[in-house]
Amino acid sequence: MKPLDRGILSSFDLKKKPILIGYTIMVLVLVVMSCSMLYPILTTLFNGLKTNVEVNSFPPRFLPSEWHFDNFNKGWNFIDLPEFLRNTLYIFGGNLVITVVVLGLASFSLSKLNVPKRRAVYFFFMMTLFIPPTTYIIPNFVNLKDLGLMNSFAAFWLPAGANAFFLLLLKNFFDEIHYEIFEAARIDGASDYRSFVQIALPLSVPIFSTLAIFIFSSSWNDWFWPSLIMHNDSHYPLATAIYKYVINARGLALNIRFAILTMVMLPPIVVFLIFQKYIMRGLHLGGVKG
Amino acid sequence: METHAVANAPLERKGRLAAFWRKHFWGLLFLLPAFIIFILFLWVPIIKGFVYSFYHIDFVKGNSFVGFDNYKVALHDGDAWTAVKNTVYYMFLCLVIGFWIPIVFAIAISELRRFQGIVRVAAYLPNIIPVVVLYGLWRWFYDPVGPINGVITGWFGSEPVAFMTDTNWSMISLVIMESWQQFGSAMLIYLAAVLSIPRDWYEAAEIDGAGVWNRIRHITLPSIKGLLGLLLILQLIGTSQGYQSQLAMLDGGPNNATLTYALLIVKYAFNQQNYGVAAALGVLMFLVLGLLAIIQYRLQGKEGDVR
Repeated sequence: MKPLDRGILSSFDLKKKPILIGYTIMVLVLVVMSCSMLYPILTTLFNGLKTNVEVNSFPPRFLPSEWHFDNFNKGWNFIDLPEFLRNTLYIFGGNLVITVVVLGLASFSLSKLNVPKRRAVYFFFMMTLFIPPTTYIIPNFVNLKDLGLMNSFAAFWLPAGANAFFLLLLKNFFDEIHYEIFEAARIDGASDYRSFVQIALPLSVPIFSTLAIFIFSSSWNDWFWPSLIMHNDSHYPLATAIYKYVINARGLALNIRFAILTMVMLPPIVVFLIFQKYIMRGLHLGGVKG
Repeated sequence: METHAVANAPLERKGRLAAFWRKHFWGLLFLLPAFIIFILFLWVPIIKGFVYSFYHIDFVKGNSFVGFDNYKVALHDGDAWTAVKNTVYYMFLCLVIGFWIPIVFAIAISELRRFQGIVRVAAYLPNIIPVVVLYGLWRWFYDPVGPINGVITGWFGSEPVAFMTDTNWSMISLVIMESWQQFGSAMLIYLAAVLSIPRDWYEAAEIDGAGVWNRIRHITLPSIKGLLGLLLILQLIGTSQGYQSQLAMLDGGPNNATLTYALLIVKYAFNQQNYGVAAALGVLMFLVLGLLAIIQYRLQGKEGDVR
Protein backbone atom coordinates (compact mmCIF):
# COMPACT_ATOMS: atom_id res chain seq x y z
CA MET A 1 0.00 0.00 0.00
CA LYS A 2 1.22 3.45 -0.87
CA PRO A 3 1.78 5.60 2.25
CA LEU A 4 -0.92 8.21 2.68
CA ASP A 5 0.04 11.55 1.26
CA ARG A 6 -0.76 13.61 4.34
CA GLY A 7 0.66 14.80 7.62
CA ILE A 8 -1.32 15.90 10.62
CA LEU A 9 -3.34 17.93 8.11
CA SER A 10 -5.03 16.30 5.14
CA SER A 11 -5.62 17.95 1.80
CA PHE A 12 -9.27 18.18 2.84
CA ASP A 13 -8.34 20.28 5.90
CA LEU A 14 -6.47 22.76 3.75
CA LYS A 15 -9.69 23.63 1.95
CA LYS A 16 -11.19 24.98 5.19
CA LYS A 17 -10.59 28.66 5.62
CA PRO A 18 -9.43 28.94 9.29
CA ILE A 19 -7.03 26.05 8.87
CA LEU A 20 -5.68 27.48 5.63
CA ILE A 21 -5.02 30.81 7.35
CA GLY A 22 -3.30 29.04 10.24
CA TYR A 23 -1.20 27.04 7.79
CA THR A 24 -0.16 30.19 5.94
CA ILE A 25 0.88 31.85 9.20
CA MET A 26 2.89 28.74 10.08
CA VAL A 27 4.68 28.83 6.74
CA LEU A 28 5.43 32.52 7.23
CA VAL A 29 6.87 31.80 10.68
CA LEU A 30 9.08 29.12 9.16
CA VAL A 31 10.27 31.55 6.50
CA VAL A 32 11.09 34.13 9.18
CA MET A 33 12.90 31.45 11.17
CA SER A 34 14.98 30.43 8.15
CA CYS A 35 15.85 34.07 7.51
CA SER A 36 16.86 34.63 11.13
CA MET A 37 19.21 31.67 10.76
CA LEU A 38 20.74 33.06 7.57
CA TYR A 39 20.79 36.73 8.60
CA PRO A 40 23.69 36.52 11.09
CA ILE A 41 25.79 34.58 8.62
CA LEU A 42 25.22 37.12 5.87
CA THR A 43 25.75 40.00 8.30
CA THR A 44 29.16 38.64 9.21
CA LEU A 45 30.08 38.37 5.55
CA PHE A 46 28.82 41.85 4.61
CA ASN A 47 30.31 43.54 7.68
CA GLY A 48 33.61 42.08 6.61
CA LEU A 49 33.26 43.97 3.34
CA LYS A 50 32.30 47.39 4.74
CA THR A 51 34.52 50.26 5.76
CA ASN A 52 35.12 50.46 9.48
CA VAL A 53 33.15 53.71 9.71
CA GLU A 54 30.14 52.05 8.16
CA VAL A 55 30.22 49.02 10.49
CA ASN A 56 30.21 51.38 13.45
CA SER A 57 27.45 53.63 12.11
CA PHE A 58 24.08 53.55 13.83
CA PRO A 59 21.55 52.28 12.90
CA PRO A 60 23.48 49.55 11.03
CA ARG A 61 22.85 48.84 7.37
CA PHE A 62 22.65 45.32 6.00
CA LEU A 63 24.43 45.71 2.66
CA PRO A 64 27.73 47.55 2.35
CA SER A 65 27.63 50.78 0.34
CA GLU A 66 31.15 50.16 -0.98
CA TRP A 67 32.70 46.72 -1.29
CA HIS A 68 36.12 46.45 0.33
CA PHE A 69 37.56 43.08 -0.53
CA ASP A 70 41.00 44.08 0.75
CA ASN A 71 39.64 43.68 4.32
CA PHE A 72 40.10 39.95 3.83
CA ASN A 73 43.67 40.55 2.80
CA LYS A 74 44.32 42.58 5.94
CA GLY A 75 42.63 39.94 8.08
CA TRP A 76 44.73 37.23 6.49
CA ASN A 77 47.86 39.16 7.38
CA PHE A 78 46.67 39.96 10.90
CA ILE A 79 46.92 36.42 12.25
CA ASP A 80 48.57 33.33 10.91
CA LEU A 81 45.42 31.40 10.02
CA PRO A 82 47.14 28.50 8.18
CA GLU A 83 49.27 27.66 11.20
CA PHE A 84 46.27 27.57 13.55
CA LEU A 85 44.29 25.63 10.98
CA ARG A 86 47.10 23.09 10.81
CA ASN A 87 46.97 22.68 14.61
CA THR A 88 43.20 22.14 14.49
CA LEU A 89 43.62 19.53 11.78
CA TYR A 90 46.37 17.83 13.80
CA ILE A 91 44.00 17.53 16.73
CA PHE A 92 41.15 16.35 14.52
CA GLY A 93 43.27 13.76 12.71
CA GLY A 94 44.88 12.36 15.84
CA ASN A 95 41.56 12.18 17.67
CA LEU A 96 40.00 10.33 14.77
CA VAL A 97 42.84 7.79 14.52
CA ILE A 98 42.81 7.09 18.26
CA THR A 99 39.02 6.75 18.25
CA VAL A 100 39.10 4.29 15.37
CA VAL A 101 41.92 2.20 16.82
CA VAL A 102 41.12 2.19 20.53
CA LEU A 103 37.33 2.32 20.53
CA GLY A 104 37.01 0.31 17.32
CA LEU A 105 39.03 -2.56 18.77
CA ALA A 106 37.26 -2.40 22.13
CA SER A 107 33.74 -2.29 20.73
CA PHE A 108 34.50 -5.07 18.27
CA SER A 109 35.82 -7.18 21.11
CA LEU A 110 32.78 -6.44 23.31
CA SER A 111 30.41 -7.19 20.49
CA LYS A 112 31.93 -10.19 18.71
CA LEU A 113 34.77 -11.79 20.68
CA ASN A 114 34.92 -13.89 23.83
CA VAL A 115 35.29 -11.58 26.79
CA PRO A 116 35.11 -12.94 30.34
CA LYS A 117 32.60 -11.10 32.56
CA ARG A 118 31.36 -9.14 29.58
CA ARG A 119 28.64 -7.31 31.51
CA ALA A 120 31.04 -6.11 34.18
CA VAL A 121 33.54 -4.93 31.57
CA TYR A 122 30.82 -3.11 29.67
CA PHE A 123 29.64 -1.50 32.89
CA PHE A 124 33.20 -0.34 33.60
CA PHE A 125 33.13 1.67 30.38
CA MET A 126 29.52 2.85 30.48
CA MET A 127 29.60 4.07 34.09
CA THR A 128 31.68 7.04 32.93
CA LEU A 129 28.70 8.31 30.93
CA PHE A 130 26.85 9.10 34.13
CA ILE A 131 29.55 11.24 35.65
CA PRO A 132 29.16 14.82 34.41
CA PRO A 133 32.45 16.00 32.84
CA THR A 134 32.40 19.39 34.53
CA THR A 135 32.65 17.76 37.95
CA TYR A 136 36.11 16.39 37.14
CA ILE A 137 37.39 19.10 34.80
CA ILE A 138 39.89 20.33 37.42
CA PRO A 139 41.35 16.93 38.44
CA ASN A 140 41.47 16.13 34.73
CA PHE A 141 43.65 19.19 34.18
CA VAL A 142 45.88 18.37 37.14
CA ASN A 143 46.09 14.77 35.94
CA LEU A 144 47.30 15.83 32.49
CA LYS A 145 49.83 18.07 34.18
CA ASP A 146 51.04 15.15 36.34
CA LEU A 147 51.38 13.00 33.23
CA GLY A 148 53.56 15.69 31.67
CA LEU A 149 51.27 16.22 28.71
CA MET A 150 50.98 20.00 28.98
CA ASN A 151 51.45 21.84 25.69
CA SER A 152 51.44 18.66 23.62
CA PHE A 153 48.98 17.31 21.11
CA ALA A 154 48.98 13.98 22.94
CA ALA A 155 46.93 15.70 25.66
CA PHE A 156 44.08 15.73 23.12
CA TRP A 157 44.78 12.55 21.18
CA LEU A 158 45.00 10.09 24.06
CA PRO A 159 41.91 11.22 26.03
CA ALA A 160 39.94 11.10 22.76
CA GLY A 161 39.95 7.32 23.22
CA ALA A 162 38.13 7.67 26.53
CA ASN A 163 34.69 8.35 25.14
CA ALA A 164 31.95 6.00 26.36
CA PHE A 165 29.32 7.55 24.12
CA PHE A 166 31.29 6.73 20.96
CA LEU A 167 31.99 3.27 22.33
CA LEU A 168 28.26 2.76 22.76
CA LEU A 169 27.51 3.87 19.20
CA LEU A 170 30.21 1.61 17.79
CA LYS A 171 29.14 -1.39 19.81
CA ASN A 172 25.52 -0.95 18.74
CA PHE A 173 26.72 -0.80 15.15
CA PHE A 174 28.82 -3.96 15.43
CA ASP A 175 25.96 -5.75 17.17
CA GLU A 176 23.95 -5.42 13.99
CA ILE A 177 26.55 -7.15 11.82
CA HIS A 178 25.80 -10.86 11.62
CA TYR A 179 28.05 -13.41 13.27
CA GLU A 180 27.99 -15.55 10.12
CA ILE A 181 30.38 -13.22 8.31
CA PHE A 182 33.00 -13.63 11.01
CA GLU A 183 32.39 -17.34 11.34
CA ALA A 184 32.96 -17.75 7.61
CA ALA A 185 36.18 -15.76 7.92
CA ARG A 186 37.33 -17.92 10.82
CA ILE A 187 36.66 -21.11 8.86
CA ASP A 188 38.76 -19.67 6.06
CA GLY A 189 41.54 -19.29 8.60
CA ALA A 190 41.39 -15.59 9.43
CA SER A 191 42.60 -14.56 12.87
CA ASP A 192 40.50 -12.24 15.03
CA TYR A 193 42.84 -9.41 14.15
CA ARG A 194 42.34 -10.05 10.47
CA SER A 195 38.55 -10.22 10.80
CA PHE A 196 38.68 -6.82 12.45
CA VAL A 197 40.95 -5.13 9.91
CA GLN A 198 39.59 -6.74 6.75
CA ILE A 199 35.91 -7.22 7.57
CA ALA A 200 34.71 -5.15 10.52
CA LEU A 201 36.55 -1.92 9.66
CA PRO A 202 35.43 -1.67 6.02
CA LEU A 203 31.86 -2.47 7.06
CA SER A 204 31.81 0.26 9.66
CA VAL A 205 32.72 3.21 7.43
CA PRO A 206 29.25 4.79 7.92
CA ILE A 207 29.50 4.84 11.73
CA PHE A 208 33.07 6.10 11.64
CA SER A 209 32.07 8.92 9.33
CA THR A 210 29.37 9.87 11.81
CA LEU A 211 31.96 9.90 14.56
CA ALA A 212 34.22 11.92 12.27
CA ILE A 213 31.52 14.60 12.04
CA PHE A 214 31.22 14.76 15.83
CA ILE A 215 34.98 14.84 16.30
CA PHE A 216 35.38 17.48 13.61
CA SER A 217 32.79 19.75 15.17
CA SER A 218 34.29 19.38 18.63
CA SER A 219 37.86 20.03 17.50
CA TRP A 220 36.70 22.95 15.36
CA ASN A 221 34.63 24.43 18.21
CA ASP A 222 36.55 23.76 21.37
CA TRP A 223 38.41 26.87 22.48
CA PHE A 224 38.50 26.83 26.27
CA TRP A 225 40.16 23.50 27.01
CA PRO A 226 42.97 24.03 24.46
CA SER A 227 43.59 27.48 25.93
CA LEU A 228 44.36 25.76 29.26
CA ILE A 229 46.48 22.94 27.88
CA MET A 230 48.41 24.72 25.14
CA HIS A 231 50.79 27.54 25.89
CA ASN A 232 52.03 29.00 22.63
CA ASP A 233 51.03 29.97 19.13
CA SER A 234 52.58 26.96 17.50
CA HIS A 235 50.10 24.75 19.39
CA TYR A 236 46.86 26.78 19.60
CA PRO A 237 44.02 25.43 17.49
CA LEU A 238 42.03 27.85 15.38
CA ALA A 239 39.14 28.38 17.83
CA THR A 240 41.45 29.28 20.71
CA ALA A 241 43.52 31.59 18.55
CA ILE A 242 40.41 33.39 17.27
CA TYR A 243 39.12 33.81 20.80
CA LYS A 244 42.41 35.11 22.14
CA TYR A 245 43.56 37.30 19.25
CA VAL A 246 40.37 38.35 17.48
CA ILE A 247 37.36 38.27 19.81
CA ASN A 248 39.27 39.67 22.78
CA ALA A 249 41.56 41.90 20.76
CA ARG A 250 41.51 45.58 21.54
CA GLY A 251 42.19 48.03 18.79
CA LEU A 252 41.31 45.63 15.98
CA ALA A 253 38.96 47.36 13.54
CA LEU A 254 35.50 45.79 13.51
CA ASN A 255 35.41 45.26 9.77
CA ILE A 256 38.71 43.37 9.80
CA ARG A 257 37.42 41.35 12.73
CA PHE A 258 34.33 40.36 10.77
CA ALA A 259 36.46 39.52 7.75
CA ILE A 260 38.50 37.10 9.85
CA LEU A 261 35.36 35.59 11.37
CA THR A 262 33.97 35.07 7.87
CA MET A 263 37.10 33.24 6.80
CA VAL A 264 36.81 30.95 9.83
CA MET A 265 33.10 30.42 9.38
CA LEU A 266 32.94 29.64 5.67
CA PRO A 267 34.93 26.37 5.39
CA PRO A 268 32.69 24.35 7.74
CA ILE A 269 29.57 25.79 6.11
CA VAL A 270 30.81 24.86 2.64
CA VAL A 271 31.74 21.36 3.80
CA PHE A 272 28.34 21.02 5.43
CA LEU A 273 26.42 22.15 2.36
CA ILE A 274 28.35 19.77 0.10
CA PHE A 275 27.97 16.71 2.31
CA GLN A 276 24.63 17.85 3.75
CA LYS A 277 22.77 14.68 2.77
CA TYR A 278 25.31 12.34 4.37
CA ILE A 279 25.76 14.49 7.44
CA MET A 280 22.03 14.63 8.13
CA ARG A 281 21.85 10.85 7.74
CA GLY A 282 24.90 10.45 9.96
CA LEU A 283 23.39 12.64 12.65
CA HIS A 284 20.33 10.47 12.58
CA LEU A 285 22.51 7.38 12.91
CA GLY A 286 24.19 8.98 15.90
CA GLY A 287 20.83 9.45 17.55
CA VAL A 288 20.67 11.51 20.70
CA LYS A 289 23.88 13.28 21.59
CA GLY A 290 23.90 14.68 25.09
CA MET B 1 40.67 -41.35 43.79
CA GLU B 2 40.71 -38.38 46.12
CA THR B 3 44.51 -38.20 46.38
CA HIS B 4 44.83 -38.58 42.64
CA ALA B 5 42.69 -35.48 42.05
CA VAL B 6 44.72 -33.46 44.53
CA ALA B 7 47.97 -34.50 42.93
CA ASN B 8 46.72 -33.39 39.52
CA ALA B 9 45.25 -30.10 40.68
CA PRO B 10 48.12 -27.78 39.69
CA LEU B 11 48.36 -29.40 36.28
CA GLU B 12 44.65 -29.12 35.76
CA ARG B 13 44.65 -25.48 36.82
CA LYS B 14 47.45 -24.82 34.37
CA GLY B 15 45.43 -26.48 31.63
CA ARG B 16 42.37 -24.47 32.49
CA LEU B 17 44.42 -21.27 32.50
CA ALA B 18 45.81 -22.10 29.08
CA ALA B 19 42.31 -22.81 27.82
CA PHE B 20 41.11 -19.53 29.31
CA TRP B 21 43.86 -17.63 27.52
CA ARG B 22 43.30 -19.46 24.28
CA LYS B 23 39.64 -18.57 24.38
CA HIS B 24 39.89 -14.99 25.59
CA PHE B 25 43.30 -13.84 24.40
CA TRP B 26 42.19 -11.74 21.42
CA GLY B 27 39.10 -10.41 23.18
CA LEU B 28 41.18 -9.13 26.09
CA LEU B 29 44.03 -7.89 23.92
CA PHE B 30 41.59 -5.78 21.87
CA LEU B 31 40.17 -4.31 25.07
CA LEU B 32 43.54 -3.53 26.58
CA PRO B 33 44.19 -0.10 24.98
CA ALA B 34 40.69 1.09 25.86
CA PHE B 35 41.16 -0.18 29.41
CA ILE B 36 44.39 1.75 29.82
CA ILE B 37 43.03 4.95 28.31
CA PHE B 38 39.77 4.88 30.25
CA ILE B 39 41.62 4.36 33.50
CA LEU B 40 44.30 6.93 32.79
CA PHE B 41 42.09 9.71 31.45
CA LEU B 42 38.68 9.10 33.02
CA TRP B 43 38.77 6.97 36.12
CA VAL B 44 41.95 8.44 37.58
CA PRO B 45 40.69 12.06 37.25
CA ILE B 46 37.30 11.08 38.66
CA ILE B 47 38.84 9.42 41.70
CA LYS B 48 41.50 12.09 42.05
CA GLY B 49 38.68 14.63 42.22
CA PHE B 50 37.50 13.07 45.47
CA VAL B 51 41.04 12.83 46.81
CA TYR B 52 42.04 16.37 45.84
CA SER B 53 38.96 17.79 47.55
CA PHE B 54 40.69 16.95 50.87
CA TYR B 55 44.05 18.39 49.87
CA HIS B 56 45.66 21.73 49.29
CA ILE B 57 47.16 21.44 45.82
CA ASP B 58 50.49 23.11 45.26
CA PHE B 59 52.44 22.27 42.12
CA VAL B 60 55.69 23.55 43.58
CA LYS B 61 55.74 22.54 47.25
CA GLY B 62 53.59 19.43 46.97
CA ASN B 63 50.11 18.62 48.22
CA SER B 64 49.12 18.72 51.87
CA PHE B 65 46.11 17.14 53.57
CA VAL B 66 43.63 19.69 54.93
CA GLY B 67 40.60 17.57 55.84
CA PHE B 68 37.26 19.25 55.21
CA ASP B 69 38.73 22.76 54.93
CA ASN B 70 38.08 22.98 51.19
CA TYR B 71 34.42 22.13 51.71
CA LYS B 72 34.18 24.74 54.48
CA VAL B 73 35.67 27.39 52.21
CA ALA B 74 33.30 26.41 49.41
CA LEU B 75 30.18 26.45 51.57
CA HIS B 76 31.05 29.73 53.28
CA ASP B 77 31.79 31.51 50.04
CA GLY B 78 28.94 33.89 49.25
CA ASP B 79 29.76 33.54 45.56
CA ALA B 80 28.97 29.83 45.70
CA TRP B 81 25.37 30.52 46.67
CA THR B 82 25.08 33.24 44.03
CA ALA B 83 26.43 30.70 41.55
CA VAL B 84 23.89 28.06 42.57
CA LYS B 85 21.10 30.61 42.21
CA ASN B 86 22.39 31.73 38.81
CA THR B 87 22.71 28.15 37.60
CA VAL B 88 19.14 27.33 38.59
CA TYR B 89 17.99 30.56 36.92
CA TYR B 90 19.96 29.65 33.81
CA MET B 91 18.46 26.15 33.70
CA PHE B 92 15.01 27.63 34.17
CA LEU B 93 15.50 30.15 31.36
CA CYS B 94 16.81 27.46 29.04
CA LEU B 95 13.63 25.48 29.70
CA VAL B 96 11.30 28.43 29.25
CA ILE B 97 13.03 29.89 26.20
CA GLY B 98 14.83 26.95 24.66
CA PHE B 99 13.00 23.72 25.34
CA TRP B 100 9.68 24.10 23.52
CA ILE B 101 10.97 25.83 20.38
CA PRO B 102 12.44 22.70 18.73
CA ILE B 103 9.23 20.75 19.38
CA VAL B 104 7.00 23.40 17.80
CA PHE B 105 9.29 23.79 14.81
CA ALA B 106 9.65 20.04 14.34
CA ILE B 107 5.87 19.65 14.13
CA ALA B 108 5.57 22.68 11.84
CA ILE B 109 8.35 21.54 9.52
CA SER B 110 6.91 18.04 9.33
CA GLU B 111 3.78 19.65 7.87
CA LEU B 112 5.64 21.34 5.03
CA ARG B 113 4.95 19.62 1.72
CA ARG B 114 7.77 21.31 -0.20
CA PHE B 115 11.14 22.82 0.65
CA GLN B 116 11.30 20.74 3.83
CA GLY B 117 14.95 19.92 3.18
CA ILE B 118 15.96 23.57 2.79
CA VAL B 119 14.25 24.68 5.99
CA ARG B 120 15.83 21.76 7.82
CA VAL B 121 19.30 22.73 6.61
CA ALA B 122 18.70 26.39 7.49
CA ALA B 123 17.65 25.45 11.01
CA TYR B 124 20.75 23.33 11.47
CA LEU B 125 23.14 25.91 10.01
CA PRO B 126 23.99 27.74 13.28
CA ASN B 127 25.26 24.42 14.66
CA ILE B 128 27.88 24.42 11.91
CA ILE B 129 29.34 27.83 12.73
CA PRO B 130 32.20 27.65 15.24
CA VAL B 131 31.05 29.01 18.60
CA VAL B 132 33.88 31.52 18.81
CA VAL B 133 32.56 33.17 15.66
CA LEU B 134 29.15 33.36 17.28
CA TYR B 135 30.61 35.01 20.36
CA GLY B 136 32.13 37.72 18.19
CA LEU B 137 28.94 38.08 16.19
CA TRP B 138 26.55 38.29 19.11
CA ARG B 139 28.72 40.72 21.01
CA TRP B 140 28.15 43.04 18.11
CA PHE B 141 24.42 42.20 17.92
CA TYR B 142 23.94 43.00 21.59
CA ASP B 143 26.06 46.12 21.43
CA PRO B 144 24.29 49.30 22.61
CA VAL B 145 24.69 50.54 19.03
CA GLY B 146 24.20 47.14 17.40
CA PRO B 147 21.45 46.06 14.99
CA ILE B 148 18.98 44.82 17.62
CA ASN B 149 19.03 48.15 19.38
CA GLY B 150 18.83 49.73 15.95
CA VAL B 151 15.46 48.03 15.48
CA ILE B 152 14.28 48.81 19.02
CA THR B 153 15.07 52.49 18.86
CA GLY B 154 14.42 52.97 15.16
CA TRP B 155 11.15 51.08 14.69
CA PHE B 156 9.60 51.20 18.12
CA GLY B 157 11.19 54.41 19.31
CA SER B 158 11.93 53.08 22.79
CA GLU B 159 15.08 53.35 24.86
CA PRO B 160 18.03 51.14 23.85
CA VAL B 161 18.52 48.03 25.99
CA ALA B 162 21.93 47.23 27.46
CA PHE B 163 21.67 43.50 26.73
CA MET B 164 25.08 42.63 28.08
CA THR B 165 25.68 45.07 30.93
CA ASP B 166 22.20 45.23 32.48
CA THR B 167 22.12 42.54 35.19
CA ASN B 168 18.45 41.83 34.48
CA TRP B 169 19.16 41.18 30.82
CA SER B 170 22.60 39.58 30.67
CA MET B 171 21.56 35.98 31.43
CA ILE B 172 18.47 36.22 29.23
CA SER B 173 20.60 37.50 26.36
CA LEU B 174 22.97 34.56 26.70
CA VAL B 175 20.11 32.05 26.76
CA ILE B 176 18.56 33.59 23.64
CA MET B 177 21.92 33.33 21.87
CA GLU B 178 22.37 29.69 22.88
CA SER B 179 18.81 28.74 22.02
CA TRP B 180 19.25 30.25 18.59
CA GLN B 181 22.42 28.33 18.05
CA GLN B 182 21.41 24.96 19.40
CA PHE B 183 17.76 24.46 18.61
CA GLY B 184 18.50 22.84 15.23
CA SER B 185 19.99 19.62 16.58
CA ALA B 186 17.13 18.96 19.00
CA MET B 187 14.70 19.88 16.23
CA LEU B 188 16.18 17.21 13.94
CA ILE B 189 15.75 14.54 16.60
CA TYR B 190 12.11 15.50 17.19
CA LEU B 191 11.48 15.80 13.45
CA ALA B 192 12.65 12.23 12.85
CA ALA B 193 10.29 11.03 15.59
CA VAL B 194 7.34 13.08 14.32
CA LEU B 195 7.85 11.87 10.75
CA SER B 196 7.93 8.24 11.87
CA ILE B 197 4.39 8.40 13.28
CA PRO B 198 2.14 6.34 10.97
CA ARG B 199 0.06 8.63 8.76
CA ASP B 200 -3.07 6.50 8.97
CA TRP B 201 -3.43 7.30 12.67
CA TYR B 202 -4.17 10.87 11.68
CA GLU B 203 -6.50 9.62 8.96
CA ALA B 204 -8.42 7.54 11.49
CA ALA B 205 -8.58 10.44 13.95
CA GLU B 206 -9.82 12.80 11.28
CA ILE B 207 -12.58 10.38 10.25
CA ASP B 208 -13.57 10.21 13.91
CA GLY B 209 -13.93 13.99 13.86
CA ALA B 210 -10.78 15.07 15.74
CA GLY B 211 -9.71 18.64 14.97
CA VAL B 212 -6.14 19.65 14.20
CA TRP B 213 -5.28 20.59 17.78
CA ASN B 214 -6.75 17.33 19.09
CA ARG B 215 -4.73 15.35 16.56
CA ILE B 216 -1.53 17.01 17.76
CA ARG B 217 -2.47 16.63 21.41
CA HIS B 218 -3.66 13.03 21.33
CA ILE B 219 -1.46 11.52 18.62
CA THR B 220 1.69 13.56 17.94
CA LEU B 221 2.64 14.54 21.47
CA PRO B 222 2.00 11.14 23.11
CA SER B 223 4.04 9.49 20.34
CA ILE B 224 7.13 11.54 21.18
CA LYS B 225 6.55 11.55 24.95
CA GLY B 226 9.50 9.30 25.76
CA LEU B 227 11.81 11.43 23.65
CA LEU B 228 10.51 14.60 25.32
CA GLY B 229 11.38 13.25 28.75
CA LEU B 230 14.80 12.09 27.66
CA LEU B 231 15.76 15.35 25.98
CA LEU B 232 14.43 17.28 28.97
CA ILE B 233 16.76 15.40 31.30
CA LEU B 234 19.68 15.70 28.88
CA GLN B 235 19.05 19.44 28.66
CA LEU B 236 18.94 19.77 32.45
CA ILE B 237 22.21 17.85 32.78
CA GLY B 238 23.78 19.92 30.02
CA THR B 239 22.65 23.34 31.23
CA SER B 240 23.53 22.63 34.85
CA GLN B 241 27.14 22.39 33.67
CA GLY B 242 27.04 25.40 31.37
CA TYR B 243 29.84 27.93 31.67
CA GLN B 244 31.48 28.47 28.29
CA SER B 245 29.25 31.18 26.87
CA GLN B 246 29.09 32.92 30.26
CA LEU B 247 32.88 32.86 30.39
CA ALA B 248 33.42 33.92 26.79
CA MET B 249 30.81 36.65 26.58
CA LEU B 250 30.87 38.25 30.03
CA ASP B 251 33.37 36.42 32.24
CA GLY B 252 30.64 35.92 34.85
CA GLY B 253 29.81 39.61 35.10
CA PRO B 254 28.19 42.10 35.32
CA ASN B 255 28.32 41.97 39.10
CA ASN B 256 28.35 38.13 39.08
CA ALA B 257 24.98 38.03 37.32
CA THR B 258 26.13 35.29 34.94
CA LEU B 259 28.46 33.46 37.31
CA THR B 260 27.27 29.85 37.04
CA TYR B 261 28.40 27.06 39.30
CA ALA B 262 30.67 25.45 36.71
CA LEU B 263 32.19 28.84 35.96
CA LEU B 264 32.91 29.27 39.66
CA ILE B 265 34.79 25.96 39.63
CA VAL B 266 36.84 27.12 36.66
CA LYS B 267 37.54 30.47 38.28
CA TYR B 268 38.63 28.92 41.57
CA ALA B 269 41.05 26.72 39.70
CA PHE B 270 42.50 28.98 37.05
CA ASN B 271 42.13 32.49 38.45
CA GLN B 272 42.90 31.75 42.10
CA GLN B 273 44.98 28.59 41.57
CA ASN B 274 42.92 27.01 44.34
CA TYR B 275 42.53 23.54 42.87
CA GLY B 276 41.47 21.94 46.16
CA VAL B 277 38.37 24.08 46.60
CA ALA B 278 37.57 23.66 42.91
CA ALA B 279 37.74 19.88 43.33
CA ALA B 280 35.48 20.08 46.40
CA LEU B 281 32.94 22.14 44.44
CA GLY B 282 33.11 19.48 41.72
CA VAL B 283 32.36 16.71 44.21
CA LEU B 284 29.36 18.62 45.59
CA MET B 285 28.08 19.07 42.05
CA PHE B 286 28.61 15.39 41.33
CA LEU B 287 26.41 14.41 44.26
CA VAL B 288 23.53 16.51 42.95
CA LEU B 289 23.91 15.62 39.28
CA GLY B 290 24.31 11.91 39.99
CA LEU B 291 20.65 11.93 40.90
CA LEU B 292 19.68 13.42 37.53
CA ALA B 293 21.88 10.90 35.72
CA ILE B 294 20.09 8.00 37.40
CA ILE B 295 16.72 9.38 36.26
CA GLN B 296 18.10 9.68 32.73
CA TYR B 297 19.28 6.09 32.86
CA ARG B 298 15.84 4.92 33.86
CA LEU B 299 14.21 6.88 31.03
CA GLN B 300 16.75 5.65 28.53
CA GLY B 301 16.07 2.06 29.53
CA LYS B 302 12.41 2.58 28.68
CA GLU B 303 13.16 4.42 25.47
CA GLY B 304 15.82 1.96 24.31
CA ASP B 305 15.33 2.62 20.61
CA VAL B 306 16.35 6.26 20.85
CA ARG B 307 20.02 5.57 21.10
